[in-house]
Amino acid sequence: MSDYPNSLKEVGQSFPRKEARHKVTGQTNYTHHIKLPGMLIGKIFRSTVAHGKIISIDTSQAKAYPGVFAVYTSEDIKTIIPDPYYGPAFLDQPILAINKVHFVGEPVAIVLAEDIHIAENAAQLITAEYEELPAVYDEIEAMSSDIVVHDELKPSGTFPDLKHLHGKKNTNIALDYHLKRGNTQAIFDSAEHVFEHTYHTQQVMHTPLEQMVSVADAHQDQVTIYTASQSPSFVRLEIARLLGMRENQIRVKVPHLGGGFGAKLYIKLEALVVATSLLTKRPVKISLTMEEQFYTITKHPTTFKIKSAVDKNGKILARRCDVWWNGGAYADIGPRVTQKSGFTAAGPYDIENVEIESYALYTNRPPSGALRGFGIPQLVWAYESHTDQIARALNIDPLEIRRKNILKEGRPQATGTIMKGAEIEKVLESVAAKIDWSKPFDKGTGTIRRGRGIAIAFKAAVAPTTSTAIVMINADGSCILSMSSVDMGQASDTSMAQIVAEVLNLNTVDIKVSQPDTDMTPYDMATLGSRSVYHMGKAVKLAAEDAKNKLEKMAQDLNLSKPYHFRDVFIKHYGMQAGSILGFGSFIPSYTPPDKKDGSTLNATPFWMVGGTGVEISIDTETGHITIDRLINVVDCGNPINPKIVDTQLSGAAIMQLGFSLTEKMNLDAGQVTNASFADYKIPGFNDIPLVIENEAIEAYQIDGPFGAKGVGESATFGVSPAIANAIEDAVGVRINELPMTPELIFNAMRKAQQKS
Amino acid sequence: MKIVNQLIPIQFKLNGKTIETEVQAQQNIIELLNKLNLKGARESCGQGLCGACTVIVNNKAVSGCLEFAKSLDKTEVRTIEGLEINGALDPIQESFIETGAFQCGFCTPGFILMTEQLLNQNSNPTDDEIRHYLSGNLCRCAAYPEILKAVHLAAQKRASK
Amino acid sequence: MHSFQWVEPKTLTEALDFLSMDDPDIRMVTGGTALMLMMKSGVFTPKKLINLRTVQGNSDILIKDDHLCIGSLACLSEIEHSPLVANELPSLKAVMKKLSNVRVRNVARLGGALSHGDPHMDLPPLLSCLDASVRIQSKNSERLIKVLDLYLGYYETALENNELITEVLIPLKPDYQSTYIKCTTRSADDWPALGVAVNLHLNQNILEDIRIVIGAVCETPTMLTLTQDFLKNKTINDSVLNEAANIALTEINPLSDELGSSEYKSHLVSVYLKRAIKTIINKGANHE
Repeated sequence: MSDYPNSLKEVGQSFPRKEARHKVTGQTNYTHHIKLPGMLIGKIFRSTVAHGKIISIDTSQAKAYPGVFAVYTSEDIKTIIPDPYYGPAFLDQPILAINKVHFVGEPVAIVLAEDIHIAENAAQLITAEYEELPAVYDEIEAMSSDIVVHDELKPSGTFPDLKHLHGKKNTNIALDYHLKRGNTQAIFDSAEHVFEHTYHTQQVMHTPLEQMVSVADAHQDQVTIYTASQSPSFVRLEIARLLGMRENQIRVKVPHLGGGFGAKLYIKLEALVVATSLLTKRPVKISLTMEEQFYTITKHPTTFKIKSAVDKNGKILARRCDVWWNGGAYADIGPRVTQKSGFTAAGPYDIENVEIESYALYTNRPPSGALRGFGIPQLVWAYESHTDQIARALNIDPLEIRRKNILKEGRPQATGTIMKGAEIEKVLESVAAKIDWSKPFDKGTGTIRRGRGIAIAFKAAVAPTTSTAIVMINADGSCILSMSSVDMGQASDTSMAQIVAEVLNLNTVDIKVSQPDTDMTPYDMATLGSRSVYHMGKAVKLAAEDAKNKLEKMAQDLNLSKPYHFRDVFIKHYGMQAGSILGFGSFIPSYTPPDKKDGSTLNATPFWMVGGTGVEISIDTETGHITIDRLINVVDCGNPINPKIVDTQLSGAAIMQLGFSLTEKMNLDAGQVTNASFADYKIPGFNDIPLVIENEAIEAYQIDGPFGAKGVGESATFGVSPAIANAIEDAVGVRINELPMTPELIFNAMRKAQQKS
Repeated sequence: MKIVNQLIPIQFKLNGKTIETEVQAQQNIIELLNKLNLKGARESCGQGLCGACTVIVNNKAVSGCLEFAKSLDKTEVRTIEGLEINGALDPIQESFIETGAFQCGFCTPGFILMTEQLLNQNSNPTDDEIRHYLSGNLCRCAAYPEILKAVHLAAQKRASK
Repeated sequence: MHSFQWVEPKTLTEALDFLSMDDPDIRMVTGGTALMLMMKSGVFTPKKLINLRTVQGNSDILIKDDHLCIGSLACLSEIEHSPLVANELPSLKAVMKKLSNVRVRNVARLGGALSHGDPHMDLPPLLSCLDASVRIQSKNSERLIKVLDLYLGYYETALENNELITEVLIPLKPDYQSTYIKCTTRSADDWPALGVAVNLHLNQNILEDIRIVIGAVCETPTMLTLTQDFLKNKTINDSVLNEAANIALTEINPLSDELGSSEYKSHLVSVYLKRAIKTIINKGANHE
């Protein structure tokens, strides 16, 4: 059996999702719906102060409210979990605030009741007194501020790529990452042209429609957690550590998620439901409101100062990137964003001399963590805007300057890793062709002006990470795939089933995919960063091949000749329809961590994602309103396992990024989010979608990916924001360097430019 | 005056079946449906803006998260669970599957019910008419392009029946 | 949310009776979408809700004495789909189509919508420029006031605690054409950052009469009387419109908020005022 596209039967087909019928009939079980007998609902009481010492918390009135089962603070939590701090990078986040609060919205106390209205009403009766401390909200200010968000930092050591972290004292710098290649300063001193620009991005939130929710049924020796989580294995590990229990005493069950986008990772509500379930001796459920999601996890606002030395022909000779990531009050996975995305800050360009300084900062904002793109969109916003600004300053065509500098196969990236399997050139050329870049473009002469813009970007897959899978063949020949990858709408169940079906020569529709249950589905690092197709796909393929080999060996030993059905083997071996065959697959890619001093590594990542965007826009020059007339999304995702799913992932990712580009922003007033609801935080709706959207996954093959496939969920987010900004400059000659690009922002920029000239 | 949490008896037809139950004054329709083990309508944004809570009451789509459960008394209610007949999917449901018009699926029942309402009023809507009618439903996975196709396909299927 | 008692009047008289008891813990509810949001967020905790949905009648849409008369309990969706409204006042149908979303329009009633007092609503500016009036009743009294005069401030109306809007009366003037432009500055479907309602009577190219009401930027819908006076009897051309826009800016003082700064909103007023007038003149029909 060959692995190549034109010989495949299941992989490469646009099958409908396996759970399609459930989704259109409303039968899908989400954690949102879970009800357990005797269950209590938890309602969280939150800090109204951005930074302060807790003087007192008065829960007496809440406790006295009829129907309230219990009210807890960190004092109660500490009676069962003496050191109740968690976090994937730093153990900095308490289950309920201890001694201090660090952001408005931080959980301080919790009410438990059987009825949600009782819990809600009682929570409103809790009062707390704080000694307010000065707060810091801006990432640049946080770098050097006297205001220190955390007095003491502790590393966690859970993930090897963050193992070397150790917290500093008297600083807000959670992590600093440095990369140095060549001698940038010397080039800056001697170059013909030096360009320096600063770009900003804003705080936004994933807003999955199924809000974050967890349920715990905890007993002294056995804990079961039902949770909407993208990382069941991590939840088990972390809860086991918190409780001082073995991993086999913690069971984490995850059904389909109603969206994730990175919000539902690591520990969100799990520790709190477990602790309160242990205290109350009842199952406990906490389901956040849409508003509360904004207080839980968000996307890093950033400031990126980028400086390039360019020769008169537009060749980039040196680049220095200073990136400040606003991590909010708790690190969450911010340090990984800073480092992993940090090393691609110079862009998909061939530059001999590169220096990158990337800082993860603590501030008194709601915490930032993983959000689709994982820091890449913020970086691309800067470097692809910068590319166009250089092009225009030197009167070079924006496509030409990219062609001149693009990072090609076989060349070293800024870390020193030699590029392979990243079709950056192909993606760029496809975008250019689709947008008819070489043809003249009518920009209009009236009050509506038109423009077009392009952007090209890449992302390194996170490493090192482990995926394992089990393929079980039953005595009747039917098959169950058991893995801890979580289907949050990206169709991982379906695509992994396609891989198994291909290997075992079965029909995808007949494969059962178990829902993650850490008692049954083996370890997976997590469903994030577009890693599952490649990492879990490889583990799944290995598991299917293992099962197939075992079956074939069994058949051989029984002298069964082909053709035979799987069930024939079982009947002959076990004497009846009985028995099981288990195939196991485990995959961890090779990886070399970056050098601590200069950030270099020859093996930075197992695969690259590539995304390019082209846009045509119209601007109402009287008001600044822009319309995206045409949106082109092109990616390299290797050989798509399910082309139709891939297509929806492209427009889905791009439209989400449109929201971050044009309309979404968390507004803060003294640290309080003032627009934590859909009434005032506007995500794209039907009338915000470009009338013409074109998607393409270019023809490519990831040589070591399962059937040539690799990840795609984030790739179409990368270039959207700068492509639009570049189109705006093309249309009306002004440069926007912050997000979101609102009509007022654009109008003011146009007016300012007019006044200057 | 102390308000006692009285239970209010109500009676209504739910997907054709008569239901007699009691609700608290402050409970909304979604809470009641959850109590009756119906999972299709979901409270998400809580402000009637995302449409995940869409429920049909006396043939009109309403936001279940903004309606008190008591308002269902003496009404006929239709939820996504009422579309399937004897195991056969409604043409709208089939269309959503064929065009892949969902990803995580959380908003999907809402979109399907609104589509039914639209097609009942306008059997062959234009792109613009579809976008306008469905502008009160949000999909964070952004399956909008596919949903547009699904509505057109559903219109065709219904017309050919 | 806290529990409360439902009160279910069968007639308007009964409803007004309950209201006359001057109980501060009482609230009326019709569509309830706005009230529900306020109760969920704890802004209001009424002990009694008077359910006006149970009141029979008071929802007719008809023509009487050259007025389009709409009962205050008419659903917004009824008004949206009414053939009479489509025929007599297309601009009203057009504004309904973009008001909030279908589900809200299915339950919201005209009276409830008008009583709310949220400056960002679409109906008050349009009805004001159409010179509409509301009939307001209490147990023992009845009065008629202009829609424009209904709004006193931010969420503040001229309604007393014991009063209800029972009818909306819109004068029908066949020579007049109206339009309402809603400008949003975030996503396409949103509260307006600015609403411009224009009602005018054009004779050849001369503007015999005009009403302009601006919504959303100030605490209440604002009629631009000086601008109206300037435009009256003028021939409409670009320079006249530009001057009108300049005058308009002196009549409003927009509030800065998340939808835009005061300066930007002022600028939008000047742009959309011109566009609204041009829309009517160019298309020559009552629509948006």
